[in-house]
Amino acid sequence: MRITRRKALTGSAAAAATIATGIYKPAIANTDPIQIGYLPAFTGPSSSTGIGIGRGTQLAVDEINAAGGIKGRKIELVMRDTQSEPTKAVNAAVELTRRHKVSAIWGPLNSGETAAAIGNIARENVPMVHPCWVDVLIDVKKYPMAFRNAPSNQQIGGAANHYVVNVLKAKKVAVISDTTGYGTASVDAYVPMLKKLNADVVYSGSVDANNPDLKPELLRMQSGGAEAIMPWSVNAGFLARIINTRAELNWDVPIVGQTTLGSGQTKSLLAKPEYWEKVYPNNFRNVCYDANGKLPPQTAEFVERLKKAKVDYSDTLMWWIACGYDGPRLIVEAMREGGTSAADMTAYLNTKVTAWKGIYGTIAFSAENHNGFLDEGVIMAQANSLKDGAFKLAPGYA
Amino acid sequence: MLVQSIITNGLAVGAVYALIGITYNVMFSASRVFSFTAGSVGMLGGVFGAILIGQMGMPVIVGFLLTLLLGAILGIVIEFVTVRPVLKSLDQHLYVLSTLAAALMIQQLTAIYFSTDAVPFPRVVPIESGFLDQKIWLPILACVGTIVGLEYLFRHTLVGRAFLAISEDNYAARALGLPEQRLRMTSFALAGMIGVLAGFSSGQLMFASLANGPLLNFYGFVPVALGGMGSNRGAVIGGLLLGLFQQTANYFFGGVFSSVAVFVVFIIALLVRPEGLAGAATARRV
Amino acid sequence: MLLESKKTGVGTGRFEAWLPVLLLALVGASLPLWGDSFFGLVATRVCIYWVLVAGLNLVVGFAGQLAIGWVSLLTIGAYTASALAAGRVTPEIPTFFALGAAGLLGAVFGLIAGLPALRLRTFYFAMTTLGLSTIVTQIALAWKSVTGGGVGIPGPSMPVPLDSPWGFYFFCLVLALFVTWMTCNISASRYGRSLVAIRDAEVAAEAVGIYKPRLLMAVFLFSGALAGFAGGLFASLQSYITPDAFTFDLSVLFFIAILIGGRGSILGPMIGTAILTILPDFAAPLVQWSTFLYAVLLLAIVLLVPGGIADLLDFKNRRPLDKHREIRPRPELLGQILTAPRKSELRLQNIVLSFGGVRAVDGVDLEIHTGEVHGLIGPNGSGKTTTLNVISGYYTPQEGTVSQDGVDFTKEGPHTRAAHHIARTFQTPRLIGESSVLENVMIGGNIDASGTFVESLLALPRHWRDEAHLRENAMAALTIVGLERLAGVRADRLQHSELRFVEIARALMMKPAFLLLDEPAAGLSVDEIKRLGALVTAISKQGTGVLLVEHHADLIFDICDRVTVLNLGKVLASGKPDEVRTHREVVNAYLGA
Repeated sequence: MRITRRKALTGSAAAAATIATGIYKPAIANTDPIQIGYLPAFTGPSSSTGIGIGRGTQLAVDEINAAGGIKGRKIELVMRDTQSEPTKAVNAAVELTRRHKVSAIWGPLNSGETAAAIGNIARENVPMVHPCWVDVLIDVKKYPMAFRNAPSNQQIGGAANHYVVNVLKAKKVAVISDTTGYGTASVDAYVPMLKKLNADVVYSGSVDANNPDLKPELLRMQSGGAEAIMPWSVNAGFLARIINTRAELNWDVPIVGQTTLGSGQTKSLLAKPEYWEKVYPNNFRNVCYDANGKLPPQTAEFVERLKKAKVDYSDTLMWWIACGYDGPRLIVEAMREGGTSAADMTAYLNTKVTAWKGIYGTIAFSAENHNGFLDEGVIMAQANSLKDGAFKLAPGYA
Repeated sequence: MLVQSIITNGLAVGAVYALIGITYNVMFSASRVFSFTAGSVGMLGGVFGAILIGQMGMPVIVGFLLTLLLGAILGIVIEFVTVRPVLKSLDQHLYVLSTLAAALMIQQLTAIYFSTDAVPFPRVVPIESGFLDQKIWLPILACVGTIVGLEYLFRHTLVGRAFLAISEDNYAARALGLPEQRLRMTSFALAGMIGVLAGFSSGQLMFASLANGPLLNFYGFVPVALGGMGSNRGAVIGGLLLGLFQQTANYFFGGVFSSVAVFVVFIIALLVRPEGLAGAATARRV
Repeated sequence: MLLESKKTGVGTGRFEAWLPVLLLALVGASLPLWGDSFFGLVATRVCIYWVLVAGLNLVVGFAGQLAIGWVSLLTIGAYTASALAAGRVTPEIPTFFALGAAGLLGAVFGLIAGLPALRLRTFYFAMTTLGLSTIVTQIALAWKSVTGGGVGIPGPSMPVPLDSPWGFYFFCLVLALFVTWMTCNISASRYGRSLVAIRDAEVAAEAVGIYKPRLLMAVFLFSGALAGFAGGLFASLQSYITPDAFTFDLSVLFFIAILIGGRGSILGPMIGTAILTILPDFAAPLVQWSTFLYAVLLLAIVLLVPGGIADLLDFKNRRPLDKHREIRPRPELLGQILTAPRKSELRLQNIVLSFGGVRAVDGVDLEIHTGEVHGLIGPNGSGKTTTLNVISGYYTPQEGTVSQDGVDFTKEGPHTRAAHHIARTFQTPRLIGESSVLENVMIGGNIDASGTFVESLLALPRHWRDEAHLRENAMAALTIVGLERLAGVRADRLQHSELRFVEIARALMMKPAFLLLDEPAAGLSVDEIKRLGALVTAISKQGTGVLLVEHHADLIFDICDRVTVLNLGKVLASGKPDEVRTHREVVNAYLGA
C-alpha cells in the first residue's frame, strides 16, 4: 500500500509528455480533441490520493477514446500537477482555463488546492467536477458550475455518527482530531450533529498530530465512560497512535471515523496487526464486500476491467480508483448528451443527472444541489478486512 | 497513570531534544558554526533505521551500527561541503546559508526518495519490559549513554582533551600544533553519530518522519540557546525541561498553546540574556 | 563632478540607480503584447512576491539580517486583508482599506519579528524568524473565528476594473514599480549606505554616528508593511487562502531570491525573484525538485559567487585599474570642508579598564587640545588602542571620565561620538568592500544630513539636498587625500595604503574637532608616510585636534606637538617631543628596545 514518490515522479513525467504534445495543435473544426483540464496532486503530501484517483481517471479516458470519444472527437486530458500546494493549484487552474481554454475541469483532488482554485475557475465560467469533501467547496451561488461527485463532510460525519449511535448503540462518545484545519473543522461540525442524535459527547478535542503521547487523551475518554472513539484526521501516524494507545490500555472500545483509519499506511504503523480489530473507517457501499465477501455486480465487473487493463489496484484503494473513474465520465456524459459549451454542460448536470449510476456511488444533482452523492452510499467498513483495495462492510449493515 | 504518562513521555521527548542540542554543541565547539543540519541529521536517524531494519530486514544491531556509520559519514560530508569552504570568511556568516542549503537538500531528498508520510520504525529490543515501554526508555538511555561517553572522551582520552582545547581557544590550539582541521572533521562525524542516535532511539516514539527534521531543529536549538552555546549540561537540562513542559502544556492547554508558549519564552529569554541563561557575556572586539 | 558618470557600485550613478525601475516598467508594461493571460498570472505573482522581497531585500541584502521566515508576515497580511474584507472581525471593510490595514499590521509584526535582531547574532535571529513562521501558521489554524482555521477564508475581491486578470496585473505592476522606486531611493540615500555599513563595517558605522537600533527599526517597519500589503494582494490573487498556502518553501524562495540576486543590489534580487517564481511553472518535470534546486543554487552562490547575479552584471568593476597609482594628498584644499572648530579640549581622567584580571588601562590621564597633534606611543599591549576605544565609546571604563570641555560622555555609546565631532580611523581599515570609495566616504557625513527615512523613501527635496551636499563634500575629501580618481571603484579593489587614506577622508567628512588615528602609517611606504605626516599637520593647522597612535617614532617626533608614552596601561611620560625623547624611562622601556 506504500506509494513511493518515485512512482509519482514517473507518473507526472508521463503526463507532462502528454501535455507537450497536446498544447499547440492546429485548429480544425470538429475532429479536434476536446480538452478536459485535470488537476491531480502527484507530488507532495497529498499525492497518494492523487495517484489512486489518477489510475481510475486514466482508465476512463482510455475507454472513452477507444469507444470513439464524443461524436468522433477524442478526449484529451490536459494535466497539471498541483504538487499539493494551493499556490501551484491557482497557477495551474488559470493556465488551463485561460491559456488552454479547456472545456471542463476534473479536480483538483484535494480540498486545500480546490479551495484556492475554485474561485479562479468559477470566474472563467468553466464547469468543474471535483471530489473534495469540504462543505464550502460546493455553493451553487458562488460557484454555479462546480459539482461534486463525492460525499460532503456532512455526509461522511453523518454516516459515522449514525453508525455509532444507531448501530453500535453507543450513548457516550469521544471525538478527537489533529490540529489541522480538516481535523478541527470536523470536530466542530460533528459534535453538534452527535448531540442532535442524543449522544453524550464525553470528550472532544484537537491534538497536535506530532504529539507522541496520546495516553492522557485516551485516559480522559475512558474516565468519561466513552463507548466509542471517533477520530478525524488524515494523518496515519496520529491515527495509529490512537489505535496503539487503545491497545496499551487494554480497552476494547470501537474506533469509528475517517477513512484513513483503514489505510495500509495506518496498518503499517500499528505495533501489532491485531490492534486493527474493532476499527471502522468510513467507506462507500458500492466498493465494499458484502457479508459473503462479494462486491456489488457493477463493481465486480469494473474490477475485471481493471485487471484487463492491467491497472494495479492492490497498492491503493478501490474507492479512489472508482472516484477517479467516475469524474471524467460524468463530464463526458454532460458533453455528449448536453453539449460542449459551459452552459449546456451545466444545464445537463443540473437537470438530467438524477440517478447517475457511478462505480463509486449514485449521483443526483439539481439546480439547487450540486452535492450529488447519495447519503446511503456512505457507510462504515471493517479496517482489518482490507483486501485488494476494498473493505468488508462493518457489522450491522445489511 | 496520567502523571506518570506525562512525565515519562516528557522525559523521553526531552532526551531527544537534548541529544539534538548536544549535536549542535559538538558541531559548534570545534568550528564555531551553528548548523541548520542538526535537526535533519536527527530525522535521518529514524529514516535510516526504518529503511535498514524495517524495510531491508537487517538484524537490529547491524542496522544500528550502519546507521551510526552513515551518521558519521553524513557529518563529515556536511563539514566538507558546508563548513570548511566558508570558514575563512566566518565574519560574513556564510555558514548560516550553507548549512541551511544543506538542510533543505537533505529534507527534499528524503521527501522524494523516502516518503512524506510517517513510516513505522521496527521494535529494537526483543524483550518486553513490564514497567516502561522501550519507546520511552530508549531515548533516555541513548541520552545518558551519550553524556557518559562524551564525559569519558573529554576527560580520559587525548582526542577529547584536544577537542576541549580547540573549543576553548581555536587559535591557541592551532598554535600548539593541534591538527585543527582533522579534529573539526572528527567532531562533525561525532555530531552526525549523536544526531542519528537521537532519531534512531526515538524512532518508535516519533516514527521515521520527514516532519521531524524542522521540529527537532527548532526544539533541539531552544535548550542550547537558553542553556548557552557549547554547554552540554545546559542542553540536557534545558531539553528535559522543554520536553516536560510541552507534554504538560499539551495536555492541559493544547498543542498550539504549548508551541506559542515555548516560542515566547525562547524569544524573551534570549532578548534578556542573548548569551544564554548560563553563558557568559563575550567582550566585543574592535 | 566630471567623475559622476564613471561611478559604479550601489546606487551611485543616476542611470544605474533607476535601472531596476526602468527595466521592470519596460518588461511589465509590454507583457500583454507578447504573453497570454497565463503569463499575466505568473507575472502578477512575480510582482506580488517582489513587493515583499523588495522590502525584505533591505533587511537581508542591505542590513545583512538573516530573516529566513518572512512568509509569516505574508501570512499575517493575507489573513488581515481577507478577514477584514469579509467582515469577520469588524463590519465589512472596502478592499483598499483592508489592504492598508494589512500593511499596517505587517509593519507592526515586521517590527516584532525584527526586534530580536537588535540583540541576537545571525543564527539566533534566523531561528527566531523561523520559529515565528511556524507559530503564525499554527495560530492561523487555531483561530477559527477569524481565519476560518484549516478550511480557510476567501481572499479580498478587487473593485472594478481591477477585478479582471489584466486589471489586477497592472495594479500589482504599478505597486511593484512604486516599491522598486522607493527602495532605489533608499539604496541611493544615506540610509541605504548606513544599512550596508552596519552589515559590513558595524564598528565604523557606529563611529560615524549611525545608530543601529533606530535604523533597523525603520527598515523592519517598512519591510513589514510591504510584506503585509503583499500578503493582502496574495490573498486576492489566490482568491481563497488556507494555512497550507503559506509553506516554508515560499519563505525560502524569498530569502534565496535575494542571495542569488546579490546583497546590496536591487536589480539582482528582482531578477532572482522573477526566475525563482517562473521556473517551476515552465519546467514541469522538475517541479518536485524546485526546493532542492533552490538549495543547490543557494549553496552554489555561497561557495562560488558570493556576489550573486549583481556581481555577474557588474561589468564596470572588472575594468582593470591603473597599476601604478600614487596617492597625492592636497592638504591645501582642506579649507573646503574643514572650518576651524572652536577651541576645546578632550580630557581623560584616571581611566581604569580591566579585562578579567588584566588591567589594560590603569589610571590614564590625557588631554588633547584642538589645533594640536598629540602622539600616543608605547610598546604592544601598553593600552594605546584600548585608550582610543574608551574615547570612542566602544569600552566603558570601570573608573574615570572622558569629557569634552567639562561635558562627561564616558558612558554614552559609540554612536554618540559623532555628534561631538570626534572622528577616528582603525588599525585595520573598516571599510565596506562592496561599496564604492565615494560611498564609503559619504558615510562619514551621516550626521550632517537632516532628511528623514520617509523623505528619502519618497525622494522629497531634503533627500536631494542631503545627497548633493554629501556627494560634493565627499569628492572634496577624496581630492584632499588624493584619491579622487578612485571615487567610483569598489573599495575592496584598493591597495592597503589607499584604504588608510579613504578612512581619513571618511573621518574628515565629520568635520572633526578631534581626530583619532590608530596607526595610520602601518603598511605605508616611506614617501606615503611623509605625505601622511604633511596631511596630518595640515589638518591640525585647520584647528582639529589629532590623537595619533603610532609605532613609527620618526613620524611621531616629526609632527607631534605633544607626546604621551604608555607602558603597561600607565602613563610613563608626557610632554613636548623633545622632553619625551630624552626621558630616561622612555628610552629604557621603549625607544631603546
